[in-house]
Amino acid sequence: MSLTTLTKPWEAMSYGFLDGSAKRELRRKTLKSVAVPGCQMPYASREVPMARGWGTGGLQVSLTLVNPKTRVKVIDQGADDSVNAASIRRFIARVAGTPTTMDTLEADLIQSRHRIPEEILREDQILVLQVPNPEPLRPVQPNMSIARQMHADADYGRMWLQLYEQIVRSGRVMQGASYPSLVHGRHVMTPSPIPRWDVPKLNMSKHLTILSAGREKRIFAVPPYTRVEPLVFSDVPYKVEEHGHLTCYRSGTKGFFMNEIPQDDGTSTFEVSDSEWGVKAIRKGAGEPVTTGETWYKNGEMPE
Amino acid sequence: MAYVATRGGERAIEQAERLFREEIGPFDHSRVHEIKQSLPYLIDRVMGEASLYDEDLAALALAQTGGEMFEAVLLLRAWRTTQPRLTVAKPVEQKDLFTHRRISAAFKDIPGGQVLGPTLDYAHRILATDVLGGSAYAPEPVEAAEKPAPANVPSVSAWQAENDLVDLPDPDPTQGNEIPDLTREPLLFPAKRAHTLQSLARAETGGTLALGYSAMRGYGSAHPTVNEVRLSEAEIEVTHPDGRTFSAGRVKLSQAEVVDKKGEKLSLGFAATFGWNEVKCISAATLDLNSPGAAKGSATEEEFFLYHTEGVESSGFCIHFKLPHYVTFQSSLDAMRDAKAKKAAQSSSSATEPAE
Repeated sequence: MSLTTLTKPWEAMSYGFLDGSAKRELRRKTLKSVAVPGCQMPYASREVPMARGWGTGGLQVSLTLVNPKTRVKVIDQGADDSVNAASIRRFIARVAGTPTTMDTLEADLIQSRHRIPEEILREDQILVLQVPNPEPLRPVQPNMSIARQMHADADYGRMWLQLYEQIVRSGRVMQGASYPSLVHGRHVMTPSPIPRWDVPKLNMSKHLTILSAGREKRIFAVPPYTRVEPLVFSDVPYKVEEHGHLTCYRSGTKGFFMNEIPQDDGTSTFEVSDSEWGVKAIRKGAGEPVTTGETWYKNGEMPE
Repeated sequence: MAYVATRGGERAIEQAERLFREEIGPFDHSRVHEIKQSLPYLIDRVMGEASLYDEDLAALALAQTGGEMFEAVLLLRAWRTTQPRLTVAKPVEQKDLFTHRRISAAFKDIPGGQVLGPTLDYAHRILATDVLGGSAYAPEPVEAAEKPAPANVPSVSAWQAENDLVDLPDPDPTQGNEIPDLTREPLLFPAKRAHTLQSLARAETGGTLALGYSAMRGYGSAHPTVNEVRLSEAEIEVTHPDGRTFSAGRVKLSQAEVVDKKGEKLSLGFAATFGWNEVKCISAATLDLNSPGAAKGSATEEEFFLYHTEGVESSGFCIHFKLPHYVTFQSSLDAMRDAKAKKAAQSSSSATEPAE
């Protein structure tokens, strides 16, 4: 045996950028997070060639999971062509040689910032959500060490109090995106800043969701077929954004989460936020053969 | 096919990067060399914050980013993290440091003497505008002292400990790969001592100064006296697999010891970093001095200052706000409009006749 037989030729970069020890650590922590749904697992969080806060947590998970056959889709605010989504997609393809796609149905792995696609994800698909702030308790307890203790004790009284105060002050829960949700009846997690529209998609879903915060060095997960329940009082039902009746002015699709586009005349028009769903609707309208998946929402409503 | 036309994302980001690079222009090794030769203190600062000691790579990072320091540090960190840890060097002892400058504010004279070394402390800060008119800037040559200062000097705290003025922490016997490594494991609180010192060593200079300064001005409980601040070079001693110990080279180091004078004994704050960066070390040591017992959420609490002086994370998060946030914004608008409508409906239903 000699050194040359034990080593491989020097390369400037490992496959998928991260070195073996980084990937091993992340895989261990990912498994832990799957084993304890919704519980935040600290991890080293290596620097990647992208700025912190720009999806470095999601990127580390994606880079750890991909192989040269994994078809990758990257979206930002629902759009595949958003500049940072384009940048991340280009980077993963560059360092891991993965094929890419914009079609939700074709993707093996979807890295997303702040949206879950409108088409139902399958058991063989993984959703990686980028997380800016992994701590749902941050608004009531900015200190991480204390918040960690509160999770250990399932001490969520102040969360409930915060929601109650919002109802008293404003007549409703004012939480916009990042709606705090109880996972598997034990840990409260932030679903990342996805709109309230998307949170029910996580409940008992077929796919695995991994949520990773690179800057804050925390990873957590929602395994397939796991309960995800938004924190609500029994007499104040959970309300998603009132987008069910809106129609996309470009594609004509109706009953999905929309982007509001302010107009010169003071009014608004709307375009569908899931850009690829919009593209499919346009193509369908033009008579092209398009495969569309079943959607979570039907006629603007989430079936019970 | 209205959507296809909007798919300019890839091209847009490519061209935006080209615009940035065009401003810096093409460069080769000579620019990297010039940066390394002419800006040693900038190189030091970048190496310290990157926690990667390599002057050539630091100069390259600065050349590549046009001097955008946060970007330069990120380039180096992202490179560093992929490199294997080949070995762990022997601990560096203060008394073995090849000392260039070592001063103490606590005593008029100290064992080993006050060694001013290289500094601008007493320079008159006058801009050399002549240079712009065509003159050369030629510094006066250094005149060597009759008796050279000793290269190796003990720390001031060692003398204080001998005189029962301060309790030094017990030597940490942890060795090799057992030493906690902040770059390979998450920072948790209460932080391991090694993690604290490593965090401070690679903290962002400006952030460390801002929080350290707030403690110095009175938001901290301890007013620092600079026991010593030292600029030195350390021998990096490693062991070859065949058992021989050799020096892999020298690195420039700076360190500061600050003390607080309350109670019967002095309490000690310490910080050290790669490169020569006195402001950062004094600020970081001041934070260290103030951290025991600091109130949760105060600037001198360990969790607060270690998180918020992490330059790669703080700068990255700051610039991430440039990313589109229209989904979250829309989600909040929805709640806001609904709350407003509810209020309007409530007040109109309960409204009495409006006053004339």
